[in-house]
Amino acid sequence: MSITAQNFPHPNGLVLFLALLPGGIALAAPSGELVLYTSQPNADAQATVDAFQAQYPDVEIEWFRDGTTKVMAKLRAEIAAGDPRPDVLLIADSVTMESLESEGHLMPHPEADIDAYDPGLMDDEHHWFSTKLITTGIVYNTAATMVPESWADLLGPEAEGQIAMPSPLTSGAATIHLATLTGNEALGWNYYEGLAEQDALAQGGNGGTYKAVAGGEKLYGFVVDFLPIRNKADGAPVEFVFPSEGVSAVTEPVAILSTAANPEAAKAFVDFLISADGQQLAADMGYLPAHPDIAPPAGFPARDQITLMPFDPAQALRDERDNKERFMELFGG
Amino acid sequence: MVSSLCGLPLLALLRLGALPDTATGSPLQAIAETLSSRSVQRALWQSLYSAALAALLATLIGAALALMLTLGRVRARGVLVFLLLLPMMIPPHVTAIAWTQALGPASSLLGWFGLAPPAGSANPIQSPAGLVALLTLQHLPITLLLVQTTLRGLPSDLVDAARMAGAGPAALLRRVLLPLLVPSLVAAATLSFIAALGNFGINALIGIPARFTTLPVLIWQRLSSFGPSVLGEVATLAAILALLALVLVLFSWWWLARARRAIPASGSTLGDRSNVRHGAPGAAELVLWSFTLAALGFPLLSLVTGSLVPTYGVALDASTVTLRHFIEVFGQSVTLRAFGNSAFAASLAAALIALVSIPLAHFIGGNGAANRRLASFAAVQADLAYAVPGLVMSVAFILVFLKPLPIVNLSLYGTLSLIVLAYLAVFLAVGLKPVASAAGQLDTTLDEAARVSGAGFGRRMGRIHGPLLLPAALSGAVLVFLTAYNEITVSALLWSSGNETIGTVIFNYEDGGYTTLAAAMAVLTVAATVVLMLGLSRLARRLPRGVVPWV
Repeated sequence: MSITAQNFPHPNGLVLFLALLPGGIALAAPSGELVLYTSQPNADAQATVDAFQAQYPDVEIEWFRDGTTKVMAKLRAEIAAGDPRPDVLLIADSVTMESLESEGHLMPHPEADIDAYDPGLMDDEHHWFSTKLITTGIVYNTAATMVPESWADLLGPEAEGQIAMPSPLTSGAATIHLATLTGNEALGWNYYEGLAEQDALAQGGNGGTYKAVAGGEKLYGFVVDFLPIRNKADGAPVEFVFPSEGVSAVTEPVAILSTAANPEAAKAFVDFLISADGQQLAADMGYLPAHPDIAPPAGFPARDQITLMPFDPAQALRDERDNKERFMELFGG
Repeated sequence: MVSSLCGLPLLALLRLGALPDTATGSPLQAIAETLSSRSVQRALWQSLYSAALAALLATLIGAALALMLTLGRVRARGVLVFLLLLPMMIPPHVTAIAWTQALGPASSLLGWFGLAPPAGSANPIQSPAGLVALLTLQHLPITLLLVQTTLRGLPSDLVDAARMAGAGPAALLRRVLLPLLVPSLVAAATLSFIAALGNFGINALIGIPARFTTLPVLIWQRLSSFGPSVLGEVATLAAILALLALVLVLFSWWWLARARRAIPASGSTLGDRSNVRHGAPGAAELVLWSFTLAALGFPLLSLVTGSLVPTYGVALDASTVTLRHFIEVFGQSVTLRAFGNSAFAASLAAALIALVSIPLAHFIGGNGAANRRLASFAAVQADLAYAVPGLVMSVAFILVFLKPLPIVNLSLYGTLSLIVLAYLAVFLAVGLKPVASAAGQLDTTLDEAARVSGAGFGRRMGRIHGPLLLPAALSGAVLVFLTAYNEITVSALLWSSGNETIGTVIFNYEDGGYTTLAAAMAVLTVAATVVLMLGLSRLARRLPRGVVPWV
């Protein structure tokens, strides 16, 4: 809920200090202050910042973290006040990035090296760049007799009354999942209507869904990959399935604000995140890297075994309100 | 000062709630719009009926337990009272986590006896009925406390005379005791209703998976997903809760005043009787102990088992038991920071409240009419701030402190200071009560004698009232600390990253799917609460009666 700038006591102190150094520094490498707003979990954000600073010791990073909605509330308030603080933004989903881009708040970074990546993961105009894949697939309790292999399997009689899923009203990943599946020709809204007929429970976030399945209250659920994969390693009675039709993914994109005070350092930050080193860092944190050549962490299948369903963030942005309303009609608010 | 902390935010809330600042249309239209929303109407209705049902049940069960405790022949009464009042000090979100783990298919405790429901069956506690049951258990101590106090103050002649006149237990209850208890029961029912209405932990953690959204949860969901931009709408919702609570608080005070008048106190009272029992346990003892075991022992034990398994869903046995989550709680910067923040905010609030309470209590019981009126006015505001749901108070605080403070041009929104200020406002009543009751029992001639000898106000406070009221102020401070250090209703809206409290971290772990960590942290806080309460019980021997509620 933070709106104040208490995390940034002297945002310009260091810049000023460097500018006043006699003769200045030969600015071959980016330097100065870089302000980052992120929705990464605390420990991950700290690790990202540390790894970047190890490569760019002259850049001082001030960072603020909170959930994506709260980070955006803060940024929107700052934009309205005419004084957006961050240089770079690293948040959960590309739909939010798309909305910032459409309002002209993002700076393109055409030199970014994105050749290796699936083109669907990056903005055509180089405004934002996906940094990892947090996929939504199917989790099931090992007590379940029917082992699902596809999304469609959940419409069978064995799954009736046994499905839990996060609500798009609470979870950003669920919003993207809804847009991806309803945009898919084979599934579409028919699929969600089928889920409603199965009396699927759609309340709260991914945590609640995972808990319901791990605790055996429901046998099947839609959930983000890392919760079941990490807990299974600890012995939780769950399995995670990458369904045959493909998975949806939140891609944690990074972008540079058009108002960035230090674009050089901001570009270095973006380049770092999509470099092999940055992608290895994501894998080390236990996430699926966006880069196809970096090996996924333990518990994940090989990268070429995972099919990503096509997703159009610009379309999802246009449909967001309608999608949520239609969802509420089917599953209740 | 009290006014500015306790009264002003509420006033601001009512003003904005009644007259939202809208760019378009009239304020009345905005209110009508908020109220006509289907989800608001449903949440309001569900809030009202779940709270009413819980209040009714809590009053009935609480009164029955109090009657058995006071009139029955019961051994170890002190221990029982302590255990039965403990749920009041356990934060509701912890109660909710404990019961969810106790009754689901993954329950280790039920599993040991082969009683766990098969995988794929819904958790019975995650239903509207389960929500009402937990609200009942959580707020039942209010009735127990009020009815027990009234009963203990009744003259024992009353019961003896009735018994001699040939009245059996049923007639004694119906003809003699119940009529005398009516005011306490009405007050207890009203207070439980308000408490259940404003309860956040149970309403959120049980209500959300049960598809049963109540008003506090709706307020929290709107504010946490849309931020301060929906403040006007949220203020309207909060104002509804506040008005409802205000009316009911005044109503319950009126009944409590009647309760006090109704008691003809003189001579020996029921509270003085020893009722020592020998031999086999009687019916009252059996009922009381089984209730304690089922309502407190069972969920707490489940919480402990839930904190010892490697991950949620695994059954606890010799091969799976692990202390890993406790180690992790102490290894994570977030949890450590939360422990630090909560300990700091709660103890600072407790210390300041204790300091303010001494002169305030002195004025309330003092001679100066003007001072007394002012101090009593302050005390009433403190009581209101405590009675109004914590979530409502935090919305009120956001309203007042969102804009930068004048002169210093600093916004307190999103800082720990704002949480401390909110604690001061909300929990002042908790700390003031024991001091006021102790001050009322002081001899006023002491003050007069000192005054005649030329001692100024500061000197009298420092040399006479301070030392005499210090034990009561200290126990008040401990009560404030106990209530504040693991609360969640106040900080649920006021926290931000860096300013987490214990309550919000436990809640977020549970909400994010890290149940085992939430359980481990909850076990630690319950243990800390029990230790603090035991310490206070020891202190109670040196305090006037009524200062420590459970002694």
